[in-house]
Amino acid sequence: MEEKKVNSFLDRLKQKAQNQTNYGGEMEISDAKMNAKDCPNCGAGRAKQDGVTHCAYCGFEFITVKLTDGVYIKKEDNSI
Amino acid sequence: MFGLFNKQKNEENLPEWYAELQESQQRWFTFLEKLEAKMEEFAAAAIPELKEILQSDDDLYKRTFHRVYSGVNGQLSNIREKARDTYDEKILDVYQNYNSQISVLSRHHNLVSDFRTACSDRYYDFDNQYEYWRKQIEKTQERDLEIEYQKILDEFDAIKNKFSCTQCGGSIEIEKIFLIETYISCPYCKTQNTFAPSTQGRNLQNIARGLAEQRTAHLYEAFETEDKKERELYHQRHELSLSKIHESDKKVLNEIQAKMDDLEEQRQFVIKNAPKLYQVYLRAMYDEWNKITPDLKEHNEKMYQNQVHNK
Repeated sequence: MEEKKVNSFLDRLKQKAQNQTNYGGEMEISDAKMNAKDCPNCGAGRAKQDGVTHCAYCGFEFITVKLTDGVYIKKEDNSI
Repeated sequence: MFGLFNKQKNEENLPEWYAELQESQQRWFTFLEKLEAKMEEFAAAAIPELKEILQSDDDLYKRTFHRVYSGVNGQLSNIREKARDTYDEKILDVYQNYNSQISVLSRHHNLVSDFRTACSDRYYDFDNQYEYWRKQIEKTQERDLEIEYQKILDEFDAIKNKFSCTQCGGSIEIEKIFLIETYISCPYCKTQNTFAPSTQGRNLQNIARGLAEQRTAHLYEAFETEDKKERELYHQRHELSLSKIHESDKKVLNEIQAKMDDLEEQRQFVIKNAPKLYQVYLRAMYDEWNKITPDLKEHNEKMYQNQVHNK
């Protein structure tokens, strides 16, 4: 009798845990990807030496904030 | 003189309230026994279940497992809470009630304090039992992170030469495991490509510390053993000092004293040595961590500095 009670409690717990949805929705598992963003204004690509915040050709603003040193992005990535 | 040594006859026999105390004590003991049995039965059933769920949970963060895990822990602490409430209600209240009624000068006052000591000792044992099961349950969340790390490394090997520049088609080599999106410039046309690491690859930063701790667990254990030695040595020395009380032979006394001094010396050494071992562990763990995620080194070192100064 006692044995049954414990097991039914665990089963219910398991069932509930499995049915519960995660906060923020289902998780997306994605593979590694490579992409490039061209300037939507003039179609030019962004070259390393021109920085990533503005288009070197037409001046289109990709990123409004000024970049600071991070793990991968560095100050030098600001367009002049 | 002052009637101090006159035995009063009416205090010879045990007072009638003693029966009530004994009954309370008996009930408390049986109650805890039942709770312990319940706890054991529950934990013994839950541990294999938890291990199985951890294996079968395909969520990246093992969230289903953690939900069940906290449910099990909650159930266990419910049991503990029940014991604590009952202790407050049935033991402490009874004790305080009698303690206020019976004078400390009464011959029977020790019955009251003995009652409390016996009950609280039993409660202490129960709590130890609880701690034991909680630790056993805690152990179920350990999983071999080496396997997961190997999967990430394999994936990286498979993808590192797979990509090409979206602008000119030139091949781009991924130089290391990136933890977040990053710009990689094409070596030919210099276009900044955005590289998005896979979900599995990103997860490396979540398992890195756990993996580093797993790899340096032997150092932590060395520290813990050394840390525990202090108490052991203290108790050994204490026992020797007790054995001196009824000893009058000078030679034996000197021998005991020499042993005690030796133990004290060892104890002092351990007190100094244990923190050193902890530092060794901490440095090794952070080194290992930095090796796994070199990109986070600067950040980790700040954390290391905090920990070093806090210990």
